[in-house]
Amino acid sequence: MRTNPVGTVTPRLGVDIGGLILKNPVMTASGTFGYGEEYAAYNDLNRLGAIIVKGLSLESRPGNPPPRIMETASGMLNAIGLENVGVRDFIREKLPFLRQFDLPVIANIFGETLDEYQKVAEILNRAKGVHALEVNISCPNVKKGGIAFGADPDMAAEVTRKVKGAVDLPVIVKLTPNVTDVAVIAESVEAAGANAVSLINTITGMSIDVERRVPHLKNVTGGLSGPAIKPIALRMVWQVARRVKVPVIGIGGIMNANDALEFLIAGARAIQIGTASFVNPRAVSDILDGLAAYLARHDISHINNLIGTLTGGEEC
Amino acid sequence: MGKSGSERMPCGEPYRSAVSCRVMENRRVAEGYFIMSLGLPAACDTPLPGQFVMLRAKGVQAPLLGRPLSVYAFKRGEKGATLEVLYKVAGTGTLLFSGLPDGGDVEVLGPLGGRFEISPGVKNVILVAGGVGVAPLSFLASHCRGDRADARPRITCYVGAGSADALVGLDRLEASCSDVRICTDDGSCGHHGLVTDLLEKDFNLLDSRDSVICACGPSAMLKRMAELLEKHTVACQISMEERMACGLGACLGCAVAVKAGDGGFRYRRVCKDGPIFDLRELIWER
Repeated sequence: MRTNPVGTVTPRLGVDIGGLILKNPVMTASGTFGYGEEYAAYNDLNRLGAIIVKGLSLESRPGNPPPRIMETASGMLNAIGLENVGVRDFIREKLPFLRQFDLPVIANIFGETLDEYQKVAEILNRAKGVHALEVNISCPNVKKGGIAFGADPDMAAEVTRKVKGAVDLPVIVKLTPNVTDVAVIAESVEAAGANAVSLINTITGMSIDVERRVPHLKNVTGGLSGPAIKPIALRMVWQVARRVKVPVIGIGGIMNANDALEFLIAGARAIQIGTASFVNPRAVSDILDGLAAYLARHDISHINNLIGTLTGGEEC
Repeated sequence: MGKSGSERMPCGEPYRSAVSCRVMENRRVAEGYFIMSLGLPAACDTPLPGQFVMLRAKGVQAPLLGRPLSVYAFKRGEKGATLEVLYKVAGTGTLLFSGLPDGGDVEVLGPLGGRFEISPGVKNVILVAGGVGVAPLSFLASHCRGDRADARPRITCYVGAGSADALVGLDRLEASCSDVRICTDDGSCGHHGLVTDLLEKDFNLLDSRDSVICACGPSAMLKRMAELLEKHTVACQISMEERMACGLGACLGCAVAVKAGDGGFRYRRVCKDGPIFDLRELIWER
């Protein structure tokens, strides 16, 4: 691991995500932090555990027609449709900006076919400054690919094997909550070689304009994120962390350090901040400060001594 | 805050954040319309005409997201600055704003987005405001008035509203513009009809070499303007509105379709690529 600027490192926050060493467990969730540029004026990107960039496909995608978002009770629906610049333009135009920071870059990848996943992975494996891949098998907002792979244990394993076979980078597989038992999918991708799993992606939902009797989103359905989904995400992370040995990365409605701590105590090795960055562009920095303060306050020497330490309770 | 800020490199200088500030006054100016004055610290950036802020009630989790509001006025004082927004109650976010007491705490992120561009040679600025769309145009008009007398363009403003009760911001417009022409849908004030009808009549008097139109209003008004402009060459900048989550260009939620080569289209972000667009660039029906 490279050295960090003086005064920005809290050594006791370091975590190991399937071979990827992070200076702290705070990452940005894919699709909520662009390619880092928009948030660099608000945060010292050198401080973050990692950035996970907007999902990349082989070719650029225009995304879905608007309206694309709608706020709902304690959350928001989105159906962006994986708008992105394409993997080659990402490497050419976006990656150089990120390389100037001491910041592990995790490329989120997406494909409509197994071949596309493999090709995108191969291209990123050769790029300088990509430290790991996060495989999106859970996007609810596109017709082909995405969740079609993530909802079936065998398909999920197949994508994982394809990507693992194409790269020597750590591979994180991002799971969908829109299944009966997310732990089954987690076990399946672990057996297929995933170095870590991240969950949850958004929960499929919808909202209707009753005056006009039309959906608020042009795509009709979208992915629900924000505080509304946190209890569900936390439950799923807790379930999965007990069933797999690989690190689990917790995502879903984390708005502050307290929320992040809940996920870590439930067994997440790291966490991702998504919708909170829309509400407060400094959310990632604030949450990082809050985690460090909590460890100091509870005299916990290393964050590893906190992860998965949930006690009490009795399942009836 | 400000556009230049987003290009600033992290090299030890303090990072930007939303600014916590007080509501100095939250005044109802017509049924469903309010002007909120916010007291900002002296270190805040000066907004330019057309820019917006993301506004949130502090400490409130519902509504969750900030609401994008155009800057209506901005003034520096000895100890700080005053920023005003003119808004219409249209949903849960603005309904909450309307109930904020004087002295209430809010968070302001911005100024964000691009500005109206009036090049030095322009002699005639035509403003076309529909409803609450008057807000950014009034700010633009007051800016133009601040230009040197010999460089000051003539400003004509066409203002449309449903009825006389919904006409807001006229005092400021009358102070800044050479001519304010009013239309109401019900004929209760000014011309009886649409603002675009009145504009159409004056269109042929416009010299496109030294004139520019700046507009903000409901999409029906903007669409009609796009039709009128097919037969005219005058430049037209419009301020667009869309639902936004971040206001910074990251969420890609506020996409609008614009023309691309070969008769195609591409999506642009209202927050970052706009909110000011060339009217002729936009695609209204896809």
